[in-house]
Amino acid sequence: MTGILRAATFPEAAVRARARAGAAEVFPARDDYGHALYGADPSERPFDPLDAARLVPPVFMPERLEKLVDLGREPLHSDVDLGTDVGGFVAKVPAYVSAFGSTQVASDGLGVAVSQQAAELGIPLVVGENVASMNGYGRITPTSGRGLLDRIRAYANTVDDGVGGVVVQQSTEDADAEVWNLVYSDPGTLALLESGRLGFELKVGQGAKPGLGGITVVGRERAMDLAEQFTVEPVYGEDADHCMRYATPGTFTDEILRQQIRLMRNNFPRARVWIKLTPGRDIGAAARVAWAAGADSVTVDGAEGGSGWAPLAAMAGLGLPLAECLRRIGDPAGCLLVSGRIWEGLRAVKCLAVGARAVGLGRAALLAADEDPRRGLVRLVEAFELELRLLISALGKYTPAALSPEDVFAPHGTSAVDHATVRDSSATPASG
Amino acid sequence: MTTETTAASTSADVRSTGERRPPDTREHLTDPVTGAVLRIQHEVLAAAREHLGAAHGCTEVLLPIIGPVTDPGARGAKQVDIDYYGHRYKLMTSAILYKQTVLTAVDRFFCIVPNVRLEPLETSNTSRHLAEFHQIDVELAEATREDAMAVVEGVVRHVVERVTRTCTAELNIVGRDVGTLAAAVAGPAFEHRSHAEAVSDLRRSGHPQSPDAEIDWQGEALISTGADQPFFLVDYPKGSRGFYDRESREHPGQLRNFDLIAPEGYGELCSGSERESDYRTIMARMRETGENPSKYRWYLDMVREGIPASAGFGIGLERLTRWVAGLDCVWQASAFPKVAGIVAP
Repeated sequence: MTGILRAATFPEAAVRARARAGAAEVFPARDDYGHALYGADPSERPFDPLDAARLVPPVFMPERLEKLVDLGREPLHSDVDLGTDVGGFVAKVPAYVSAFGSTQVASDGLGVAVSQQAAELGIPLVVGENVASMNGYGRITPTSGRGLLDRIRAYANTVDDGVGGVVVQQSTEDADAEVWNLVYSDPGTLALLESGRLGFELKVGQGAKPGLGGITVVGRERAMDLAEQFTVEPVYGEDADHCMRYATPGTFTDEILRQQIRLMRNNFPRARVWIKLTPGRDIGAAARVAWAAGADSVTVDGAEGGSGWAPLAAMAGLGLPLAECLRRIGDPAGCLLVSGRIWEGLRAVKCLAVGARAVGLGRAALLAADEDPRRGLVRLVEAFELELRLLISALGKYTPAALSPEDVFAPHGTSAVDHATVRDSSATPASG
Repeated sequence: MTTETTAASTSADVRSTGERRPPDTREHLTDPVTGAVLRIQHEVLAAAREHLGAAHGCTEVLLPIIGPVTDPGARGAKQVDIDYYGHRYKLMTSAILYKQTVLTAVDRFFCIVPNVRLEPLETSNTSRHLAEFHQIDVELAEATREDAMAVVEGVVRHVVERVTRTCTAELNIVGRDVGTLAAAVAGPAFEHRSHAEAVSDLRRSGHPQSPDAEIDWQGEALISTGADQPFFLVDYPKGSRGFYDRESREHPGQLRNFDLIAPEGYGELCSGSERESDYRTIMARMRETGENPSKYRWYLDMVREGIPASAGFGIGLERLTRWVAGLDCVWQASAFPKVAGIVAP
């Protein structure tokens, strides 16, 4: 265990346990078997509507009958096919590693460890927006293995043919560093580009601090270097060793978003186009604009999301929870990816049932790699994968795509995942 | 996984085998074809200067090759950063920002300027991309798109007329069919086709051209091959070009711009447009093209104080030379060619 990370607002202990033991952690402690009695814990009353909702298998299962006929035997959870098209890439499970940027916790070698394991798992990897501008690219100047190219190379050297993909994020401030132009024209990314496994994600916003740009703490000396590109403020005092570095969030309207997507498609015709949206109140309209303009995928980061530094007030009360984002988007018109405090199968399957194509692992991926830089994320996802198979087969279904809102029961007062209502109210076509 | 390559083949190989990589520098420079091409290029430049100066009253102005910001409109190409006394400067990918603002000093001008664009590696075999190239840049205050297209057409006609008159021996060395070249400018005014028509033609022929994007390289080769005279493509959709191409007031979503496409499969020679000169509109268009306005402070300060409305264009000098000389590849039109990903002096 390297143990450099802490995640007090996240089920850290459970993630670390899975990073150590893998699929065994899907079940209660083995030593208790034959002695302990189990059952739902009534003291656990989740405030999050997604957590409060339950998956509800039917008694009658016509789709299981179809599978039985197809297989010539009774189907099992191992018959669930988890392979999914995730934003234009083939993924072995309906998951991807979401972006964590230059924030210091992700910089100390963990970024590369996560890249390698995501590649081994055959799931797409998003590389955060300011890795290049903060840690360097890694082409001419040395980056101590932390640069953008180091992460991409770690992935490309490990991933099997035909699966996965790398998505490089860029935000307004990064336009200075021209990250996409650089990646698109680099010899080191050619193999991914030629095999259709390179994508670009426009970061419109993020879950942890919607409406704000990136915020990081930097040393005074580094702050001087960055002052030309970013706003740097002496939050800790004029003589302190550290300063706060702010990036601008960027200004968007529906027309700005639409045209930026078209420009991405025009300038990088061989790359997939992903759009990461902030959990804003107009999330449904924004997602529809993105799909209509040709985005291969829209990522919604719920307000529960975020690995990076953010004001306490933002974490306490800025932005829509993921469940409400899903409700406002309704029946998605394209590939919808979601993230926000997802680390295990139950929350993931609920998201898939109400419209998501795949789920993003952010803090969970970092913690797992922190627990074991070589195998932590692999074990976490092995447990996740088993849970997905068990839960999806329990619903009498055998692919993630077969899941539907009827698989989710929202108890009274937690109607945030009441998808049927949403479908009716979101029937209007995409604006513009 | 690197694809970095050194120059290897000869010009003779290019013609006989279709190999598209530039040869070793000495071999390239001592090839009689290269000498002939450089003399043709000299006449191309002389013709352009003659026509723009004498016929259109344009002043030749020398513009910067480095600055704090450059044209972001090059699709997929990386800009080159340089350390300018501790500040990050760029080599020019095009002179567009200076072209617009210099009109506060002279109202019609031209320049021959080098541009550097680290193009995507896939362009190394398009036959028509160089990482370092030159443009014949023209900007005309208070002009319309149609005014600019008329000037482009005049330049191209004059170039062909002068080269066919003065470079008979050189055209013979490079094996150019002079009759085909002369016929390309002998006819009436160059045809104008809309982007939408070109998209529709390409889709009808089975080519999957996006209606929201520039005509892709294969599509451009297709429509160029089918022509025997240069022609203009006009009205590109917003989202396919930089923030400075003006959006049509009558047809929102359409740009008041154009490309000039050479016949015989040689593809695009020139891009131009009416320019956006309104501060607020430019600010919105910058965001639509994903730009961070803070990078463009000097330019935006100029625009805010007022710059003339204008129209202008840039002709790719090496591309024009390639077409006039009938060369297989655009790198043959450069003494020291830089093709994407290939290390060369």
